[in-house]
Amino acid sequence: MEDDSGHLNSLARACLVSLQAEAPVRVPRRRQFKLQLPCPAIGNDENRASQRNLKLARTTAYHPSLTKQSAKMEVLLGITGKDFTIIAASKAAMRGATILKASDDKTRSLNKHTLMAFSGEAGDTVQFAEYTQANAQLYSMRNGTDLSPSALANFVRGELATSLRSRKPYNVNLLLGGVDPITHKPSLYWLDYLASLAKVPYAAHGYAQYYCLSILDKHHHPDITLHQGIKLLNLCTDELKRRLPIDFKGMTVKAVTKDGIIDIEFDDDKVVKMA
Amino acid sequence: MVGKDCVAIACDLRLGLQALTVSNNFPKIFQYGDVFLGLTGLATDVSTVSDLFRYKVNMYRLREERNIAPRTFANLVSSSLYERRFGPYFVSPVVAGLDPKTGEPFICGFDSIGCIDFAKDFIVSGTATEQLFGMCENLWEPNLGPEDLFETISQALLNAVDRDALSGWGAHVYIIEKDKVTKRLLKGRQD
Amino acid sequence: MARRYDSRTTIFSPEGRLYQVEYALEAISHAGTAIGILAKDGIVLAAERKVTSKLLEQDTSAEKLYILNDNMICAVAGMTADANILINYARQAAQRYLLTYNEDIPCEQLVRRLCDLKQGYTQHGGLRPFGVSFIYAGWDPQRQFQLYLSNPSGNYGGWKATSAGANNASAQSLLKQDYKEDCTLKEACAMAVKVLSKTMDSTKLSPEKIEFATVGQTKDGKIYHRLWSADEITALLKEHDLAKDDNTEDK
Repeated sequence: MEDDSGHLNSLARACLVSLQAEAPVRVPRRRQFKLQLPCPAIGNDENRASQRNLKLARTTAYHPSLTKQSAKMEVLLGITGKDFTIIAASKAAMRGATILKASDDKTRSLNKHTLMAFSGEAGDTVQFAEYTQANAQLYSMRNGTDLSPSALANFVRGELATSLRSRKPYNVNLLLGGVDPITHKPSLYWLDYLASLAKVPYAAHGYAQYYCLSILDKHHHPDITLHQGIKLLNLCTDELKRRLPIDFKGMTVKAVTKDGIIDIEFDDDKVVKMA
Repeated sequence: MVGKDCVAIACDLRLGLQALTVSNNFPKIFQYGDVFLGLTGLATDVSTVSDLFRYKVNMYRLREERNIAPRTFANLVSSSLYERRFGPYFVSPVVAGLDPKTGEPFICGFDSIGCIDFAKDFIVSGTATEQLFGMCENLWEPNLGPEDLFETISQALLNAVDRDALSGWGAHVYIIEKDKVTKRLLKGRQD
Repeated sequence: MARRYDSRTTIFSPEGRLYQVEYALEAISHAGTAIGILAKDGIVLAAERKVTSKLLEQDTSAEKLYILNDNMICAVAGMTADANILINYARQAAQRYLLTYNEDIPCEQLVRRLCDLKQGYTQHGGLRPFGVSFIYAGWDPQRQFQLYLSNPSGNYGGWKATSAGANNASAQSLLKQDYKEDCTLKEACAMAVKVLSKTMDSTKLSPEKIEFATVGQTKDGKIYHRLWSADEITALLKEHDLAKDDNTEDK
């Protein structure tokens, strides 16, 4: 289905196979998207009208993933509540099957009230995040005001969308969370390397999506307090520790409130037993 | 979908990565003055293309000091998509609106490189295309009034997406009449 | 003497002046007056139309008031032809910002973009600077309603009430006299027609001679801007007893 990085251990592979088994019947049709963008060659002009809707882009806001497996092992989580947005990212810096570092910070603050977490291909992530950070800060300096989280999310989307159709696209998945400096409303944006942007109440990237979104579907409420948010995050990380085939070395947890970005103490050493 | 002196356009709200639903509030219909554009396809291109047309239509409105007409807009969509003939946006747009002069309903669809498909009855696009074709062929009839048209398009969409694993999660329905646009949110099946 | 220093826009005279810029300002002071007044719940822009002939098509577009963006309008004093270029530039800049950030451009940023372009002509050269002053009226969530004035040198400033064009000195002093902090949009409109009637040649006004526009906020908090129709202007003039009598109107 996807290019295998070849660095995965067998457990991860097994996990992958089971996921693929559940993939929809339509999968083969999506092949067209797996060609490197820009873009698949299209058939000749003839019968264009009759081919309409048959050959191209037969999806409803849907796309395949080109992300490498090891990147999917990285955990990014985001949860919004009444007056805050939590962003959490796994601490493990991975390269294939090896963990190089257990205290990696996969987040960058863009301005006083916007935080971005990233996962994806090794070099691209930090490069892209710091490029975005520099742009956000340049804007603040030039204009004396900060960009709102929504404006930043759209800016980042634009950059990724341009990159997608360039010779070497950035392979970065992002969560962008913040609190609006004027209305104080919290928000969370989910972006992937294809530059799909969605405003969501809670989000995850990588394999964590399969485990955490269902938990969040069940337990999340838009009016939760920061304390309840952290509890919810614990539910998610417990499940990840239980089910992810690798140790992701705990989470960096940060929260954005109207007063700015705060680090949150998080118990990484908690041992979770299989049920 | 065309009715008597009215048109309707509707979309589902799902954003997904294959079988995984990422968001259940991702509208695919965009309003530019009196004209409506529905976009299905690659999510990133849905956003890119909708933003691009907002830019173009706003500039048109400021320059011409009037709203763009559906037929004009359809040609703008067509030429803009064909500009990317050899590296297209992966979207299949649908345009709906009423002619500002005659009040006649106008709908059309496109392929991803801008070939226009004018229609007198209905246009469908997206993952549930087959199901939608079936539903529309059966339910649609000429000269439906606004209320009947709403019922028809809603039933067609909801029942089509229920048979499609990749779409659903509620719907937006717009009924466009001479001097009134009604937008309704359909809850639909949330599973 | 002057000839040595005003043939190019970019050369200072020994007194440290840029003659071309001053000539541009002079050109503007012959153009129709434009005024802007900031009220607590909106902004009014009013402008005098210089060319009036009964042969002139009346229903064609406004000549001195332009919409720049969903959140901003402007009044022009000076050469309309030059203004058209700048307005198109501003509209594109505003739409480009909307495309990048999915938000309307903050008013001051748009003003600054235009002024940077104007400034360029006083330094990098070209044949002459843009012969226009603008009065901008806009709204953004950060600073709410705002009024700006910019001139050919590329300078701009925020104002509570300001004017540009012919007689702008007397208009300015009238505004200074009459301006009340926290006035409503309605009071601002009244002040605008009063000032215009005093600065224009004829004391009685008619909708052919002036243009009117307002930026305001609807009850549900949405920002609107509107160029007034001839009928609305007539009604306003009648209310303040400044309208030209129907029987003296030259038809």
